[in-house]
Amino acid sequence: MIARREPSPLARTTTGFLFVAIVCWIFADIAISTSDPWREFGLLLKGIVTPDFYATNSLGLALAYTLAFALLGVALANIFGFGLALIFHSRTVRVGCAFIRSIHELFWALIFLQMFGLSPLTGVLAIAIPYAGIIAKVYAEILEEADQRPLSAVPVGAGRASTFLFVRLPDAWAHFRNYSMYRLECGLRSSAVLGFIGLPTLGFHLETAFKEGYYSEVSALLIMFYLVIATMRIWMKKPLLPVYLIGAVIVLPWGVAFSLSNIIRFLTEDIIPYPLRAGGENMMSAFGDWLSLLLLDQALPGMVATIQLTMIALVATGLLTLVFFPLISPLLLGRAARTGGHTFLVIVRSTPEYILAFVLLNLWGPSMLPAIVALSLHNAAIIGHLIGRYTETIRLRIDAAKGANRYFYEVLPRVYRPMLALLFYRWEIILRETAILGILGIATLGFYVDSAFADLRFDRALLLILVTAMLNICVDSISRSIRSRLRLQTTLEQR
Amino acid sequence: MALLQLKDESAGYNGKEILRGLNVTIDPGERIALVGESGAGKSTLLRLFYERLGAKAALMPQDSALVQALTVFHNVYMGRLHQRSVWRNLRNLVLPARADVEEVRKVLVPLRLEEKIFSGVGELSGGQYQRTALARALFHTGDVIVADEPVSSVDEHQAREILETMNAQKQTVILAMHDRALAIEFADRLIGVKDGQIVMDQESAGMTPGDLDNLYLNGVE
Amino acid sequence: MKFRTLLTAAAVIAFPFVPAMQANAADKFVFTAIPDQDESQLRKRFDKVAKYLSTTLSTKVEYVPVKSYSAAVTAFRNNQVQLAWFGGLSGVRARGLVKGSKAIAQGKADPNFETYFIANASTGLTLSKEFPKEIAGKTFTFGSKGSTSGRLMPEFHIRKAFGKVPQQVFSRVGFSGNHSRTVALVQSGAYEVGATNFKVWKKGLKNGTIDPKKVRVIWKTPGYPDYNWSIRGDVDKAFGPGFAQKVQSALISMNDPDLLSSFPRASFIPAQNSDYAPIKDTAKKLGLID
Repeated sequence: MIARREPSPLARTTTGFLFVAIVCWIFADIAISTSDPWREFGLLLKGIVTPDFYATNSLGLALAYTLAFALLGVALANIFGFGLALIFHSRTVRVGCAFIRSIHELFWALIFLQMFGLSPLTGVLAIAIPYAGIIAKVYAEILEEADQRPLSAVPVGAGRASTFLFVRLPDAWAHFRNYSMYRLECGLRSSAVLGFIGLPTLGFHLETAFKEGYYSEVSALLIMFYLVIATMRIWMKKPLLPVYLIGAVIVLPWGVAFSLSNIIRFLTEDIIPYPLRAGGENMMSAFGDWLSLLLLDQALPGMVATIQLTMIALVATGLLTLVFFPLISPLLLGRAARTGGHTFLVIVRSTPEYILAFVLLNLWGPSMLPAIVALSLHNAAIIGHLIGRYTETIRLRIDAAKGANRYFYEVLPRVYRPMLALLFYRWEIILRETAILGILGIATLGFYVDSAFADLRFDRALLLILVTAMLNICVDSISRSIRSRLRLQTTLEQR
Repeated sequence: MALLQLKDESAGYNGKEILRGLNVTIDPGERIALVGESGAGKSTLLRLFYERLGAKAALMPQDSALVQALTVFHNVYMGRLHQRSVWRNLRNLVLPARADVEEVRKVLVPLRLEEKIFSGVGELSGGQYQRTALARALFHTGDVIVADEPVSSVDEHQAREILETMNAQKQTVILAMHDRALAIEFADRLIGVKDGQIVMDQESAGMTPGDLDNLYLNGVE
Repeated sequence: MKFRTLLTAAAVIAFPFVPAMQANAADKFVFTAIPDQDESQLRKRFDKVAKYLSTTLSTKVEYVPVKSYSAAVTAFRNNQVQLAWFGGLSGVRARGLVKGSKAIAQGKADPNFETYFIANASTGLTLSKEFPKEIAGKTFTFGSKGSTSGRLMPEFHIRKAFGKVPQQVFSRVGFSGNHSRTVALVQSGAYEVGATNFKVWKKGLKNGTIDPKKVRVIWKTPGYPDYNWSIRGDVDKAFGPGFAQKVQSALISMNDPDLLSSFPRASFIPAQNSDYAPIKDTAKKLGLID
């Protein structure tokens, strides 16, 4: 008798997610609704090859603001994140950090816009707060994983502070520095995207130019953006950091000041649900109606669309990764082809998914398709890069198969686990982005949040943001439990 | 007065008892080697001694345990971490004070590490690495050194150099050693550990490695 | 080195929070405008107006661009601007949030403003007197979510005609962001039908950005009050007694065709808050304001 082969947990999870994604796909709105998308695409391509650097008023200033918000935001986030990492064993701190990082920087910016207006503080804090939550978690993990053996050699009686400084910190420091660089790159992307909601960064002009079809200007703005990110490791030198930070403070228009009363009013009036603010004898029942209307008509459909899009994008990311990682893998491609692969992946992963989705939305019209493509391209480029790099450490035997056989029999089985680990790690990130893409007109939670802000109903906006945050925290914990059940681990370098 | 006295005590870690019925007295100026099979409890006994001695003793842990990201200076300076203020320590981490650099240099010269003072410990050879760990223990102002397999990963020539330096610079030396010949040569007193107990405690003078055979399961190591 | 860098960084970052906490000194008069069309042209359009007001009022006047209708309202509410060129709905919202603020001027066409429903030629729809019920089931785009002529009024008429919300009437509903973009999207076929501000439509026809062969008007709404200049109530205290009055007469006496064409309006006439009561009622009915 032949034993029936039991599917492995890994295979079961994979099939499960594939199935869910296919079901989501069947119900998804994925039409291309523009009548002639290729004509517009042709115009875009023409614009891309004929960049016009003089079309944007004060392009230099937009670039400077983009850098300044990113630098100050990430620097602040590092300081707070480091401080929080030191007390990360406290449950309150852990939950607090999970909460602040579950709210996307664009949502934070929308909130701060109401409190501080167009003050630079809006942009700086919108980056600093969620990033502090992320950094706290990663730094706490780094500290935990630091080499503990030297602890035993510390003389009896040395204080905790000194011990921390000499034993735990030095090992973690190099990781902190690397991670800060990565965060700065993310910060530059976030900073550019903040322009879409009115801060004076590159995104501000990019959105306008795009909407009006000035593709040569779009091209110039994108080129500037790629240049800044691509050259980051050259200009970002430690001794120059204070210079940059002082420069960032000087360049930002702090003159746009705000008043304390605005902040107080926002916190004590604007965000109080309207029926409670209005009072009256039927206050509680009015509040019940308000709440159920908001939850049933907005939060629920928003959540369904957000989850649907996230699941499709997650699985699409996985499938695309399978195609992307060989582009830079020495096991599968020659040097020349790999150079092309690297360039391609760098460009795709440097483009914020928000901008990518915006571009595709303009070409194809509003449906889930642009969002799916944008999210999966961006994330697959990131994971593909990490997995491609990982294959560099694999040593194949000399007589290993070639071509497709090598891919399926030698490489894929070896990279599948780390790939799944990274996919689940990015699940929560994909969800955060999915929600925010609603601002562009796709009916995810962000759409309803944006509508509430457009209607100046901050009470509704805040409730919807809280719903988004809760959804995020749920997915994060599901992802964590799947990862631990399947024993999928990501290394420090991959976070 | 005795440095340390154990009367019918037990020791272990993670709540698991490993050694029991311990009766040991250690006087200043003694040179002691703990011998026995690996896993017999030498490290546990050593750790118990170190805990009782407190700030009087410097520890040289197994596999040296240097902080990889720091320089030789910083690793050695750690030997006096407990005697300086946090601010002084912070300052030395960022920008080493000249006075402290001089102090550390004095320890490094006889160990032939002077040149390497500002090198990262990752760049050192095996012998230099072990000597840095020794320098850290020597920089500690206590009179006692407690060392767990301090010469396990160096050749015999370097091992002798390290053990001689230790004997010359610290008043009391307590070692865990698996090399029986070196233990007999450099210690005046041997404590044998087997089956969770001290089974031998005697002067080393006149002993040969063969005399320790009964400490090991099969008689050979 | 590492820690020195860290400490410097901390000091540098802490410093700006101190000056930023001081309130805005009322040394210059700032205004904004809703970004209702051709966003890249906003600065060009309104810097000219700022210059005119500076001269006429003998005060430093500055224009700040904003990205959305709600940002214009928020800036007005937070006293980051003291004057704004609002739409009917955004004006109602802004004045509701700032006590004592008032509408002081409107374009000559604004008391009787219109929304045009437009359709791509491929739909085969043509201009009709009655509300074109054939648009049901097609794709439809509004302008900005906060627009009067691009959202509020068209939604009002759609709901009246069908008794359903737009999302149930059309196969797809979008918000283009502004009026010129609505025209462009319907013209390109991205949406089959849209609703736009008649002033922007006429300007596009004149400029040649609209191709009448590809997109045409299929219905015109009845008139309603729309755009207005609104000013905060506390400007007299900040810029001297009678300042609001001075601003009003400066706006009404604007007669340079070049300035006026940027709105585009023939001239400005006085306005008052009560002119916009119908807008407020409609917005309440649609549940756009509480």
